[in-house]
Amino acid sequence: MIINKFILVLISLFIQLSISVYSQTDWVRWEKSDPTYQKKDTHLNRDFDLSIQSVSDVIVKPLINAYWFFVSDVDGANCPFHPSCSSFLVQSIKETNPFKGTLMFFDRFTRDTNVFGRLEHYPRYGNNHFYDPISLYTLDKEKIKIIPTNTFINE
Amino acid sequence: MSNKIFFLLVVILFPIYGQQIDIHSPKNIKKFADFLFCDKDYLRAIDEYKKYLEVVNNDTIRFKIALGYSLINDQSNALQEFSSINNSSALYEQSRIEVLKSLSLSKSDSAFYLLANNLINSKSQFSNNAQRLLNTSILLNENELPDKNKFLIPFESDDKLLLGNYYDLKINPPYKSETVAGILSAIIPGSGKIYTEDYGDGITAFLLTGLFTYLAYTNFENDHQTRGWIFTALGAGFYAGNVYGSVASAQIFNAKVNFDFENGLKLFLEDKNFFTPAYDFCK
Repeated sequence: MIINKFILVLISLFIQLSISVYSQTDWVRWEKSDPTYQKKDTHLNRDFDLSIQSVSDVIVKPLINAYWFFVSDVDGANCPFHPSCSSFLVQSIKETNPFKGTLMFFDRFTRDTNVFGRLEHYPRYGNNHFYDPISLYTLDKEKIKIIPTNTFINE
Repeated sequence: MSNKIFFLLVVILFPIYGQQIDIHSPKNIKKFADFLFCDKDYLRAIDEYKKYLEVVNNDTIRFKIALGYSLINDQSNALQEFSSINNSSALYEQSRIEVLKSLSLSKSDSAFYLLANNLINSKSQFSNNAQRLLNTSILLNENELPDKNKFLIPFESDDKLLLGNYYDLKINPPYKSETVAGILSAIIPGSGKIYTEDYGDGITAFLLTGLFTYLAYTNFENDHQTRGWIFTALGAGFYAGNVYGSVASAQIFNAKVNFDFENGLKLFLEDKNFFTPAYDFCK
């Protein structure tokens, strides 16, 4: 009888000990971390590139970089579109030519000014932007890929 | 004492009885596979059916494997499995129309047209289904269409109405002319976008161009040359950008017409399950 009790105590001790020892090995899950509460925003991933690849880069890149640095990043990401209007200008010039890129930019700026019917017109990008890629406006029909308006895009 | 014996018997007999059930018998494998198939867990059902086929040769199971592949859109395996069903099988005709569906989904155009015509001419049980699938595919992929009445003959009355509309859309797509959009915007800023049904953008373009033109005019009138030229440049930018944008808008409108047409027909085909018969495997 005494032996039985002794064995029971031994088993119970072993279980208790092994549980506490095992739980100590699970420390990785609870390790200290430094959470960031900064809002993720693709607009902040700027490509501050000043390399000159074409004649238009001499004028456009310093202007856009200055706008990003002194105005846009300070003022906040207020453009409702992705890519933002300034990125749209850079990308459209890169994709086509300075003349066509500028026309595309003015057209984009008109769309940006129009606040009506955006929800029915554009697919969404992330939580709070409308997706309006350059490929739709280069006048190259092969590049036009229609995305239904109720689609959510996460690149 | 008797309680202890009873308890011991229960403890010993349960595992012994448990060992006697052969869960891997062909019958149980099939039962489990059928459950998975009806639960739409097709990939696991296929594995179980393949295990069953190692023991029992059964055309229905082979057909269900092929159907499973087709339903998970693995058309190359579906084609392979459907083709393995020979013409002595009761499911041969069904497998041929399923092959036609798989060919249609895998965009194997030449093989699709060949088999479709073969099925139609063979006067098989599913000749009419093949004709319907062929006609819908022609509407979707080809530029030259047969006569409308002849085209609609194989379909039921409801489908005739719907496909008649799609036929008309294919013959006369409601495209907007890029040239007209550009010219309209050149005459009245924004009107090209209104023509392409981008009403908000059209009105905004008109207001922006008008505003900067007015600002340029009043500044020149009051002898503010620098400001006048700045507003002129901005007004001209918005004007030219709007002409360009109207042409782009017409292109996007036309691409949307094509997209809606193709999407609508694909949804119609999916709704009709590509005119394949319904099976009662899960009743």
